[in-house]
Amino acid sequence: MHERLSFHMKRNSVIHRLNPLTKLVLILALILISFTSPWYWTPHFVLLLAIIPLSALGGVFPEFFKTATRLILPAASFLFLMQAFFQPIGEDVIFKFYFLDITQESLMFAFRNAMRVFVMVSAFTLFLLTTHPSELMSDLTRRGLPPQFAYVIISTLQILPQMQAKAQTIIAAQRSRGLDTESTFFKRAGSVVPLVGPLVFGSLVEVEERAIAIEARGFTSKHSKTSLHEIPDPSFDKVIRWVLLALVILSIAANLWLA
Amino acid sequence: MAFVELQNVTYKYPLTKTPALQNINLQINEGEFVAVIGPNGAGKSTLCYALAGFVPHFFKGEISGTIEVAGKESGKSTLDEWVLNVGLAFQNPFNQISGAKYTVFEEIAFGLENIGVPREEMKSRVEDAMALTGIRDLADRSPYSLSGGQQQRVALTSILVMQPKLLVLDEPTSQMDPIGTREVFGTIRKMAEDGMTVVLVEHKMEWIAQFADRVVALKDGSVLLEGKPSEVLTSDLLAENGFGISRYTSTAREAKKRGLWKKENLPVTLDEAVAGFKL
Ligand SMILES: Nc1ncnc2c1ncn2[C@@H]1O[C@H](COP(=O)(O)OP(=O)(O)OP(=O)(O)O)[C@@H](O)[C@H]1O
Ligand SMILES: [Mg+2]
Repeated sequence: MHERLSFHMKRNSVIHRLNPLTKLVLILALILISFTSPWYWTPHFVLLLAIIPLSALGGVFPEFFKTATRLILPAASFLFLMQAFFQPIGEDVIFKFYFLDITQESLMFAFRNAMRVFVMVSAFTLFLLTTHPSELMSDLTRRGLPPQFAYVIISTLQILPQMQAKAQTIIAAQRSRGLDTESTFFKRAGSVVPLVGPLVFGSLVEVEERAIAIEARGFTSKHSKTSLHEIPDPSFDKVIRWVLLALVILSIAANLWLA
Repeated sequence: MAFVELQNVTYKYPLTKTPALQNINLQINEGEFVAVIGPNGAGKSTLCYALAGFVPHFFKGEISGTIEVAGKESGKSTLDEWVLNVGLAFQNPFNQISGAKYTVFEEIAFGLENIGVPREEMKSRVEDAMALTGIRDLADRSPYSLSGGQQQRVALTSILVMQPKLLVLDEPTSQMDPIGTREVFGTIRKMAEDGMTVVLVEHKMEWIAQFADRVVALKDGSVLLEGKPSEVLTSDLLAENGFGISRYTSTAREAKKRGLWKKENLPVTLDEAVAGFKL
């Protein structure tokens, strides 16, 4: 069935070997800098000079490119158009479309905002492609994140495809008994109702059994936990994190100072 | 005092009127392999939950009587302490997958991480447990990609790796083929000979006859019969009370009525039946 349940691509790259927290700090820093730096071209440079090279360094450029062009680019373009048309700033009208005006200012404004969003989503994509979720959670748990919280995140990531598959099974079963799932929107919306019962109540029983199963394996044990995988955190990583933090502070300070 | 001791245990689930367990008295020695049989709703799973501490600690409800394992009383312990001594695996393997792990190896290590076993020891224990149940070749697969029978093996291994003193299994081979079932029962038998105490709920009488030391027959929450497999499994009482019965037993019982089965005892397995009819 679902052999691959995460975005993670197995590679042996410098980026993959970075501590998961370092990577998290890295992408958060890139995003924060893109949003706070007072210099207009910052997000563009972050994308071109940091995120794209990092994805190549991580050996995931093809996957990154695919996601960026098929998923992020359309969304960012849509945002760009919306803001370019509906942002009532500037007088210098360069394009007219019925009652909608596009000015030089609104164009610049929209371009930067779309770029910021592009940076944000593509940074997260890069993170997901190069970080194994269970490594991230083990590392964060070791640093004090409650294991229950980590468990909820990981199991949700894993359970979504399961739920989807189950909904498909229930739909097939009910369609074979005459349920209409293919005609008009309203009829179909109505026919979702009978799916809810089996899906939710089925899940409740499952949740109970799963709670028993993980409890039987010492999940609530008061022992301090250990981790199967060793997740290295060399001093190099710590230095990177501090440097990134300093850059973010600089960017925010510059923003406030110029405002 | 026996290793496992239940005294006058009566238990009602919350919001129910009739008790799921009624006045159960049971003694099990260390290293004994006890099979539990009974029709649907007899209370087999509830008994497993009671032994494993989930009744009453997880399900709540009303309980009276005492449950002791390895000299400790369930009512006076907490669940997280109790599960260190008593391991539980149940029927539906899908719901026993933790959902927190991406490979079978990690899945089996999950319990050991939780109780703080050091990394090197953890790895060797996981390896050993996987070798024992014959799933070494699944180590790098996603637990969700396995067949039902394979998932049941993973669920069993995930409990065995914790090295419980009492192993409680509720229909652990329901999705396995006969060859798989035989292998797993052989493994469990070996663990019992090495000193692990085993309580197993099972419907397949022929397997019980071959592997268990003792059988407990439950009906409506009470113990109806208890004793050696050869005696309990061939008792007339079972047929009268709606228990599943080995086809060799029922065939020989009919044959006996017609004077075709000459032996005193009825058979449970094919071999016993063949030996008896040859007479
Ligand atoms: N969570 C629960 N809440 C309330 N009643 C329950 C619960 N689980 C089981 N029961 C009831 O307790 C009784 C014993 O159920 P139990 O599951 O122990 O039977 P069983 O012998 O395991 O049956 P099966 O062969 O179907 O697995 C049944 O009457 C059942 O309806
Ligand atoms: Mg049951």
